[in-house]
Parts: sequence; structure tokens; C-alpha cells
Amino acid sequence: MEQQQMIHQYLNTLQRYLARLSPAEAKEVIREIESHIFDLIEQCEAAGQQADAASILQGFGEPRQLAEQYVAHMTAGAPPPLGFRAIQRVKHGVTAGLYYSMAAFGFLTSFSLLFLAGAKLITPDAVGVWAMSEGNSLTIAFLAEPFPKEQELMGMALVPVAAVLGVLVMWLTRRILTVLKSQL
Amino acid sequence: MTTDDKSQEKWEVQLRKGSLELVILAALKDRTLYGLELLKVLQSFKSTAITEGTLYPLLDRLKREELMDAKWVQEGDIRPRKYYCLTAQGETKLADLTNLWRQSVQDIEYLLAHPGPDPIKVSGV
Repeated sequence: MEQQQMIHQYLNTLQRYLARLSPAEAKEVIREIESHIFDLIEQCEAAGQQADAASILQGFGEPRQLAEQYVAHMTAGAPPPLGFRAIQRVKHGVTAGLYYSMAAFGFLTSFSLLFLAGAKLITPDAVGVWAMSEGNSLTIAFLAEPFPKEQELMGMALVPVAAVLGVLVMWLTRRILTVLKSQL
Repeated sequence: MTTDDKSQEKWEVQLRKGSLELVILAALKDRTLYGLELLKVLQSFKSTAITEGTLYPLLDRLKREELMDAKWVQEGDIRPRKYYCLTAQGETKLADLTNLWRQSVQDIEYLLAHPGPDPIKVSGV
């Protein structure tokens, strides 16, 4: 009886996954598989063996995967449902918007860093990075009255650090833009 | 299992997949079989052994493509069974696939029979 129940449960689950077929088509599929299973069980019993529902069902695989194969023809080559074109347009808009804002953000950051490096080189005393409030805030600034030297971070090392960072950000931006452009 | 065994198995699976449609059409040529019967025929050959889960959805597809016809038949007391046979379109398809298969086997056999270093006669280039 437990065997019967296992088969029943399998077919019920399969039927649920076949919901995309018409009821008549789904019924036809179930009927054929059911017939196959009971044929096998009868053959086992005729040979004097105990039928093993689990091993019979194993040949059919998971109900969901089996159903997917029956439903596959419905999704293969089918045009996208109505309304999908609008999503494509929105996606395209997002990509274009993303492209330009990425370009603006990336190059602005890059140029700022390069400018900072140049400025520090030309007016070392007025430009720098300072830590204030005992490290709770960080200031990058041009100042007429510079902070005490002890509080400045990096000092002249800011020039190569900012320059390298600037070049790196520019390179990264160009890489990202290349990827985005191929999606446009 | 070594990598070689694995890649060999992969190749076997691909080959079986690719030739399955031809295999089923050939098994049903001038014959009417129900699913379980057909499955047992296919499982009796080493290179065409497939499972129920592969066979039935494929039969469903071939029927949709009108390459085969199916009807429920009840004989005596036993449960009705769904029998499959080829349609005229299925016969044509079988003939086409048979030609492709034979051409492919012939070409590969030729290559296997003509190893280097002698050059292979290339025609039409």
C-alpha cells in the first residue's frame, strides 16, 4: 500500500508541475506514465518479485525536471510576453544613464586626485590632508593659514599617492565604460 | 574515475543525445510499439540505453512535430496502452536522418582509415 501511495504522490506532484499544459494534455501525460508504472509492477509480480516503486520512479527522474521537459516546447522560441519590450527600453535607458554618470563620476574623481597631486607639488604648505578631532574627521583642503605640520598626514608623500590613485581611477573608469558601452 | 573516463563519458552522452531522434524513428520503422516496449528495445543496446524520463518527453515532442502518431489500444482485460507509429512525415525524416548518419559514419571511417603522414586527398578545394 505504501508503494501505491508513493506512486500516487509522484503523479500528483507531476500534475502540479504540468500546469502550463492544457488539462487534457496533462491528463494524457499522467495517464501514459501511470500505465507504464503499473505495467512494470505487474511484470514484476508476474515474475514473483516484489515491485519496487522507488526504483521504478527513479527512471522518470524528479517530477519537476520531467515536467520541464514536457513544457520545454512551450518556452522554446516563444516570443517574449507583451510588455517585455517596455522593460527592454527601460533597461536600455538605465544603461545609457549609467554610462554617462559613470563617466562623469569616474573622470571627475580622477582629475581631482591628479589636481591634488599637482597642487601639493606647487604649494606644499597650503595643500594637504589633515586629520582633525583626533582622527574623527579627515580634511583635504587648500588653506591660507595652514594647520600645524604635526597634524598633516603623509606630507609630500601625498603627491605620488594622489597621482597613482588618480591614474588608477581613470584606468578603472575607462575599463567600466568599455563594458557598459558594449551593453548600450 | 580519471579525467579521461569523464570526458569519454561526456562524449558518449553527447553522441547519444544527438542520435536519439534517429534511434527512436528507426526503432519504430514499420513497427507499432508502446512506451515500455520501446524502452526495453532501446535499453537492450549499449549505446541507446535511455531512461523513462528521457523517452516519454521525447515521444511527446515527436508527436507534436507530427513525426509520429499515437493511439490508445486496449487488448482484452489488460490496461490500455499508448502505441506509437511513424507518420509519412516521420518516414521522410527517418530517411533524411539516415542519410546524414551514414554520410557522417562514412566520413569519419575514411579519416580513421587514412592516418598520416600521407596527405589526405582533398577534393573540391
